[in-house]
Amino acid sequence: MQRTFAQCRKELAQFRRDRLTVALALILPLATLLIFGYAIRLESKHIPLAIQDWDQSWLSRAYIERLFATNQFVPVRRSESDDAIAPIDRGHAKATVVIPPDFSRRVAKHLPSPVQVLIDGSDVNNARVIRNSIQATTYYFMQINHLLPGSERVVAQVRLWFNPGRRESLFIVPGVYAVVLAVFPALLAAIAMVREKEQATILQVYASDLKPIEWVLGKGLAYFLVGQLESGLVLTGAVVFFGLRLVGDPTPFLVGNTVFISASVLFGLWIGSRASNQGAAVQAVALVSFLTALLLSGFIYPISNIPFPLSLISWVVPARYFMEITRDAFVRGTGWAGVWPAELALIGLALLFLRAVLLATQRMQLKD
Amino acid sequence: MAKGWPNWQRWLPGVGKPWHLREQLLSLWAELISSRLLALMQKEVRQILRNKQLLFLLIFPPTIQLLLYGFALNPEVKYLDLGVVDYAQTMTSRELVASLTNNQVFIGNPQSSNQAALGEQVRRGEIAAGIVIPPDWQRQLQRGETAAVQVLIDGVNANTAGIANGYINQIIRVFSRNLEPPAPPAPIQPQVHFLYNPGLVSSWFFVPGMIGVVLTLTSSLVSSSTLVREKDTGTLEQLLMTPASAGEILLAKIIPLFILLMGDVLLALLVAALVFSVPLRGSVLLFLVLSGLYIFVGIGVGMMLATIARNQQQVVLISFFVNMPLIQLSGAIAPVESMPLVIRYLSWLNPLRHYITIVRSLLLRGVGLGVLWPHVLALLVFVILLLSISIYRFRRQLS
Repeated sequence: MQRTFAQCRKELAQFRRDRLTVALALILPLATLLIFGYAIRLESKHIPLAIQDWDQSWLSRAYIERLFATNQFVPVRRSESDDAIAPIDRGHAKATVVIPPDFSRRVAKHLPSPVQVLIDGSDVNNARVIRNSIQATTYYFMQINHLLPGSERVVAQVRLWFNPGRRESLFIVPGVYAVVLAVFPALLAAIAMVREKEQATILQVYASDLKPIEWVLGKGLAYFLVGQLESGLVLTGAVVFFGLRLVGDPTPFLVGNTVFISASVLFGLWIGSRASNQGAAVQAVALVSFLTALLLSGFIYPISNIPFPLSLISWVVPARYFMEITRDAFVRGTGWAGVWPAELALIGLALLFLRAVLLATQRMQLKD
Repeated sequence: MAKGWPNWQRWLPGVGKPWHLREQLLSLWAELISSRLLALMQKEVRQILRNKQLLFLLIFPPTIQLLLYGFALNPEVKYLDLGVVDYAQTMTSRELVASLTNNQVFIGNPQSSNQAALGEQVRRGEIAAGIVIPPDWQRQLQRGETAAVQVLIDGVNANTAGIANGYINQIIRVFSRNLEPPAPPAPIQPQVHFLYNPGLVSSWFFVPGMIGVVLTLTSSLVSSSTLVREKDTGTLEQLLMTPASAGEILLAKIIPLFILLMGDVLLALLVAALVFSVPLRGSVLLFLVLSGLYIFVGIGVGMMLATIARNQQQVVLISFFVNMPLIQLSGAIAPVESMPLVIRYLSWLNPLRHYITIVRSLLLRGVGLGVLWPHVLALLVFVILLLSISIYRFRRQLS
């Protein structure tokens, strides 16, 4: 036990001495939080919309006004060309609404009047958002102008829970928190591990009477503490910049945080013990931790959208479970009742990584 | 610098005395063979081919990233679990439930027995949405009143919740209209056409973006690491002792890298076309030329990093620091239009943003230079700036 702590102290002293790494270890997580937190917005707010009004009646103008009254669209100045697709081709508009010349006449006669909506499909997500918005606005317009025959029989009273204003940051920022903690503690631990090999200081460890498990735990503990520091920093950033608040019972979050940082550090140690040099270790951690936390964890889009063989990998991505815990802690607030399976999965994965590190260090010893 | 260069002027037609073609070609060949540039390039190519890690970096990570991003990121709102509590239990209410679940958006989840249980399921995130049909629903309908159904949506995922909300409202609207048999069609009918990607295939959005990301990462990493390795191992001094000038040394490094990275462009295009069947509607030639231009941006970034960093480890860390904002603020994952205004303006200073716009426009929209010229111009400016600054810094460090 004492030797473990001694190893941890040595590791921290070594970490503190390298100014560049300390700076990067503290600045990079915060920078990542800010960039991801501000830049990842899936729904556009000010969508440029071009209008071609061939009718020029009060009805068509009222309809156009209603479309822009949603505050979701901003008008695009019509160019001299009369082509409806040209502004979309040029990327000036995301959609064009074409109102036919006999629009108001047909509506007055209660005949169906088509309004052509051309939407830029290259941004798949916003294409759907634009379609839904235009359809809902059109319906609302007909309703308030009493253009709909018959009365409305069934209405939906929709309540959005947890996030009634649909603030995207409430979804993204707890996810970024998990991505940051998946990448940076693992990165530092991997560098520390592979450095011993690269600089051959590992021979001194072999020569001492330090047991592999003490060595690994000492190293792990040091970077666990660094990881805790990073997590505190990022958490403060999330509270200050994005207004995140813990809702409900904080204990599942605290437990999950501890286990997740341990898992991240152990994974880094494992990669570090397998990699041949620092460059390769950084590459491997960046590729594996970063990509899985970003893509196979449900960070951006629902995890159920991942197709079959890839979805199997997502079961062993710790960030996936930790995101469930952080989103519960910051948004949902159900506490232990909702997240205990995720906590168990995290503990299981952490133990798995510990086992992998111990095996890898044993193999390192045999070879030399 | 001019001293070490082959005499380019002699090859230009109309300069100097009139030549015979054969003589001209022969002298060109001789010039090339004897040129130091070619020898240096040969040395670079051998060095690259011997370096297994570099070749691995050129092929493996780009392919994996293209495949992962193309397959894993999918904004589709599909197969959401919809909890149903039907207190009315009539034919109409069952019809409503059927019309909500008779599509790929929602799957009926009949497990909840009462409203409280349904609420708890939504709270825990077990179902994405829930619908409650009240007991007096049928009576309200028969009396000709407006009957309400309650819908609960898990709003944690703001984007999915918004789209699910739109679908539910639309389905209920259609259902409501169909309740009255002689209802004439609604007067205004938006007819929606999705241009460029009518099936809204998500990989068609992400894969072109990832082509840009992959090229940025690979070209900056490969060029910085080949330069730093010479610095690291001290072989740069040896090169400097040769009669070759700094310009020649750099050019000999850049040309083979450029050819290798063009291979990466083809690889990415092949993956996009074969695996994801992304269309190539614009000109292939223009795509290749502009990608070549962008590779010079990547090489410029890499050379810049190499002049800043002192060893390999620092290069990797700094490139992480530089590439992350470049990628996140480029519109590869989340569209630039959705970002806050300040970031949107800042993104004009991001070469990757221009390249991704170019790739998406060329592949999906099939437009030409007439539309793309501002982005091409921006890339040109970046190439000139990055290359001249980094060559200047590099030469200063050498001498």
